[in-house]
Amino acid sequence: MNKYVLNGLYTVIGIVVIAAFAFKVFQPIQVLPRMRLSPAYNFIDQDGQPLTSETLRGQFVLYSFTYTHCPAPCYNISDTMQEVQSRLGEVDLGSIPVSFVTISVDPDRDTPEVLNAYGKELGADFDQWRFVTTTNKALLKTIVGSGFETYYEDKGDGNFALDPGFVLVDGWGIIRAEYRYTTEVSDADRILRHLGVLAEEVQNSTGTAKLAYEAAHLFLCYAP
Amino acid sequence: MKIKVILSVIAIIAGLAVGFYFFRPHTFHGTVIQSPEPSFDFTLTGPNGDVSLSDYRGKVVLIYFGYTFCPDICPGTLANVAQALRGMGTKADDVQLIMVSLDPERDTPEKLAEYMGHFHPSFIGVTGTKEQLDEVASLYGIFYQKTESSGASGYLIDHTATLMALDREGYMKLVFPFGVTSQEIADDLKYMLRQ
Repeated sequence: MNKYVLNGLYTVIGIVVIAAFAFKVFQPIQVLPRMRLSPAYNFIDQDGQPLTSETLRGQFVLYSFTYTHCPAPCYNISDTMQEVQSRLGEVDLGSIPVSFVTISVDPDRDTPEVLNAYGKELGADFDQWRFVTTTNKALLKTIVGSGFETYYEDKGDGNFALDPGFVLVDGWGIIRAEYRYTTEVSDADRILRHLGVLAEEVQNSTGTAKLAYEAAHLFLCYAP
Repeated sequence: MKIKVILSVIAIIAGLAVGFYFFRPHTFHGTVIQSPEPSFDFTLTGPNGDVSLSDYRGKVVLIYFGYTFCPDICPGTLANVAQALRGMGTKADDVQLIMVSLDPERDTPEKLAEYMGHFHPSFIGVTGTKEQLDEVASLYGIFYQKTESSGASGYLIDHTATLMALDREGYMKLVFPFGVTSQEIADDLKYMLRQ
């Protein structure tokens, strides 16, 4: 083969390999993994109104799990929810709404009235932050335990063993991030950063930009 | 000499462009899920007894939730999948569609078998108790609820209308939105079967 052809071929291959390597190392585009489908549900909220997974389709939703009789660190989780809610203006979300849903694992005691009082005590804006549960305990266990993969167990003495955390779900109903309670940096900072990453991906979900974002998924360019 | 170099570079770029066109990465029409664990392995009742999702390991499995009285969305989706499979030739043998009926009151296994057979001979319909269906539907992200209807059917069931594709190992790979075409489904299935 002509040596010019060979040299040219090597150069082009080299550029492609370096470009792929650079994409992986420098991660010019970051994404959150599409982990699994968020469970579907039909809860009752703090006002006695139904809240379904379909109602929140098209929105980013941050879920947390608690029960109103839960001692600290449950309350710190509510602190994080409050902080994320109050700092949403720092993130460019475009026109994508964000909702917050706190699921109680204690439907016996956490009636809508109790959840309403709990939410008011936290100063929650009920238009954006809902407190929900269902009296169907078997389904609640399926949704929280298997769907959101958040462990809890009724200890039978008024307390629950609960592994507190947050789950971030995108507008397609796909779980994009899970946060266990203890992290090295503030949960709120991380959650806000991830909301920005998600919004950027949605805003670039058509045409050539979509290909670049799919490449980022392919190269596992996951946002820390 | 310069002309030779320029022609060589042009030929290489043209060759790469042609090569990229024919060997470009597949762009899925469904949303790709990177699930680190296999999908929930349910066991429900089919026409010949229990049917488990894991019975179909080794095949690409399409899962859809619907019911036989469904007026338009379910038959439209099932017809699309059937058309996609018919266009795939023998490759379709490695694809299994399972419809989970959300209407156990009216959809007996026998009725489901008859209904599914109208679309494609390989399609399977399964159902279960309300408790079983609540669990399976929730874990596959399917919201459903019974709504009253003035029509002859008595009631309807509102439900999430996504079609899901699991790879040969049982990991969820794709979620198709409602409205995906048969050609788009066939393109994605053929790519999944090559992997």
